[in-house]
Amino acid sequence: MHLDQVVAIVVSVLGSVATLLIVSLGLAVIFGLMRVINLAHGEFLMLGAYAALTATRIGVNIWVSILLAGVSVGIFGLVVERLLIRHLYGRILDTMLATWGLSLVLVQAVTLIFGPSTNGIGTPLGSLHVGSYSFSQYSLVLIFAAAAMLTIVFWVFTRTSYGVMARAAVQNPSMAQALGINTARTNMVTFALGSSLAGLAGGLLAPTAGVVPSLGQAFIAQSFMTVIVGGPGVITGTSAASGVLGGSYNLVSYFTTPFIGQAALLVIAIVLLRLMPQGLSGNWRRQL
Amino acid sequence: MTVARRVLLSPLSRPVVVMLAALLLGLFVSDFQKLTFALWVIYGLLALSLDLVWGKAGIFSFGQTAFFGAAAYLYGMIAINVSPTSGETVTALLGAVLGAAVLAAALGYFMFYGKVGDVYVAIITLASTLVLLQVMTSTAGPQYHIGKAELGGYNGMTHIPSMEFGFPGHPGDQMSPADTYTLVVLLAGLTYFAVLLLLRSGFGRVIAAVRENELRTELLGYDVRRAKLIIFAAGGAIAGLAGAVFAGWGNFMNPAPFSLPASALVVIYVLLGGRGTLAGAFLGAVAVEWLSTTLGGVLPSGTTLVVGGILIGVVLLVPGGLIPLFTGLVGRVVPRRPSMRRVLGRPLPARVDGVRGQRLEAHNLVKAFGGVKAIDSVSLDFPARELHCLIGPNGAGKSTFFNLLVGRYSPTAGTILHEGRPITHLQPHERARRGIGIKLQVPSIYRELSVRENVWLAAFAKVHNPPRAAAVGDGVLVRVGLIERAEDPAGDLSHGEQQWLEIGMVLASSPEVILLDEPTAGMTREETLRTVELVRNLAQQATVVVVEHDMEFVQRLDAPVTVLHQGRILARGKLAELRRNEDVLDVYLGRTFRATGG
Repeated sequence: MHLDQVVAIVVSVLGSVATLLIVSLGLAVIFGLMRVINLAHGEFLMLGAYAALTATRIGVNIWVSILLAGVSVGIFGLVVERLLIRHLYGRILDTMLATWGLSLVLVQAVTLIFGPSTNGIGTPLGSLHVGSYSFSQYSLVLIFAAAAMLTIVFWVFTRTSYGVMARAAVQNPSMAQALGINTARTNMVTFALGSSLAGLAGGLLAPTAGVVPSLGQAFIAQSFMTVIVGGPGVITGTSAASGVLGGSYNLVSYFTTPFIGQAALLVIAIVLLRLMPQGLSGNWRRQL
Repeated sequence: MTVARRVLLSPLSRPVVVMLAALLLGLFVSDFQKLTFALWVIYGLLALSLDLVWGKAGIFSFGQTAFFGAAAYLYGMIAINVSPTSGETVTALLGAVLGAAVLAAALGYFMFYGKVGDVYVAIITLASTLVLLQVMTSTAGPQYHIGKAELGGYNGMTHIPSMEFGFPGHPGDQMSPADTYTLVVLLAGLTYFAVLLLLRSGFGRVIAAVRENELRTELLGYDVRRAKLIIFAAGGAIAGLAGAVFAGWGNFMNPAPFSLPASALVVIYVLLGGRGTLAGAFLGAVAVEWLSTTLGGVLPSGTTLVVGGILIGVVLLVPGGLIPLFTGLVGRVVPRRPSMRRVLGRPLPARVDGVRGQRLEAHNLVKAFGGVKAIDSVSLDFPARELHCLIGPNGAGKSTFFNLLVGRYSPTAGTILHEGRPITHLQPHERARRGIGIKLQVPSIYRELSVRENVWLAAFAKVHNPPRAAAVGDGVLVRVGLIERAEDPAGDLSHGEQQWLEIGMVLASSPEVILLDEPTAGMTREETLRTVELVRNLAQQATVVVVEHDMEFVQRLDAPVTVLHQGRILARGKLAELRRNEDVLDVYLGRTFRATGG
């Protein structure tokens, strides 16, 4: 194995890990800090992709479009929380069913508006050559974006007063309320933040994946597996699970086919859960 | 009135009547309608599988369509390869059902034996379904084939043979629409009947118990993981049957059933039909399919929008489901079983027999959470047929120690011996089967079941014989003084009575060792005094370990006491002696600085 091949494999593995992290982080924030399972998470990604697509079509710069995707889906999440989610706190299964219904409605609505066909955004930046291998510079962007998103989430939840209140609210809601924390408001902000991360993810992936109404379904299985395997630690758990699952998916795909890679991801996730039902971060001290 | 009417009204004959009506209907409708109706019944069968798993056993599965789809593909693979020579598709049908059951069992093994939470079960089944969607859609191209059967990717598998019942050399006739309809109705009827019988068996009651209170069921000695696995595999088999019949019905299969809208539909059938009603599964499927066929004509491509809207609307506005809302049929979650009451009317033996009391020992037990040792090298010996109390201030490690004995925690180090044999790493239900009866602090009973059914479940775990279990159960009710309330739902009992009922359930499983965690929590003084008598009575036939807070209760028990403090044994002896022990007084009065003169 030559050095250029090693570099190519490392970049490819890191790219898979980063993609998994990007698509899972919003879901992990909402589940970890609200105990709400957003089954429409995939559709939030899809909305982000369409937001970025629409923005670039009217001539907005691609990087600004991606950020706009995060902002617009964040606002959409805020509306969803007010109209739907807040009526269902504490009823996990009902929340799942309602967000599931929402996901069906969103897919159909977007199909009616944009049509069922695939739209593309050209991948910005060119490709990079290392020896006889080449890879897109955009995969480096994804790796940096994943790191940046992690840093931002970590900063928000440890360094801002909202973040501390949100963590208090999920650990002991009645105590948090007794201390004067408005848990309804922290929940609202958390959901909007998680939605915004999902939208940003959709925007980031739009140039590499075809933008179709069913875009969400392609990512939702992996993101749920990542969050469950990660366990309660939003940052530590999600990163570790992305590393294990993304890494093994990529390597198995590289040496066999993506078809087997998909199946391997599922099998590894399920076996890991059998061994560690609390998730990878279940017994770690730092729960973020 | 009379026999005819009684037969018509008996719950077991109702499906037969409906089935005959459905077959009769088949004589009056066109072939096209028959094919449509057959499809609705197939969807009803799929919904039945979810209602069994979710409505009856409380396991929420998003994955029934995965088993449906997998079985449909399996049927196609086997039928395409085998039926041209064998002239039948029975092997394909059986193979597909078996395959779906095995798939469900494998998934169930990882979920239930890993003890993942309910929500995770939902997500894992959903994710598995979606992964199957991705895997099957990426099988386009001739290189993906099993024998002569091409998987076909997104476009699906074609030329799947219809159902036929011939034999090699004499191929059966390909079934006409009328035959297909008849076969589907018969299969659905038989399956429904089999599910009813399963639920009426002893195992069916255990399933109800698992749904009502998983922890209590485990503490009674039932293997909850195994019960869930069996019911999940059965649900997979039924979904698989629906899938196999579907493939034979349409001669075609694509990955669509693995998609989110398809899995959502099954949940909607059950939600609308009324969860846990079984028959409602068919009603819901027929209602939704009829509606979407009608709507589909008016509003093409709007069906998904409507389905999603219904899902949100039902959850927000009528969480109980539509049909129970209209008919007021909700009633009790668990219907009374008249057959069981007849069995229970027998005379009872005066007391539970064959119990001697056995020895329990803990050696150098350590339990650390992170860096904190909640239990730090505790050794205690509970000799056979003795009563022993464990006390200590808050945070002393009493609950941790109790949970180690129960098996809810696994110790970091040390061993637990029962009659000299190690049980350190056994599951709670395995300990219960070896004769260790457990009562937790918060009353853990089946609130929706009658008092009598509660003790019956406890006794059945031990004797595995329904009439004998009933007799033992009634004997226990006499002993704990609840026989007059035998028919009341356990949730209607006062707090103190619920505690006695739970002690009664422990007794009914004829334990050798009884572990009680704060049996008098929340009791009035009179109730506490009666509990003293009850516990001393228990100690005459079994080893009893009581963890307690209430000093008066401990004093009245008049038994050896061990004081725990900061995870270690601080002192042992009779309570009267301990009251003169300076260390114990320090701990209880908070005089931490005595030694340094502070």
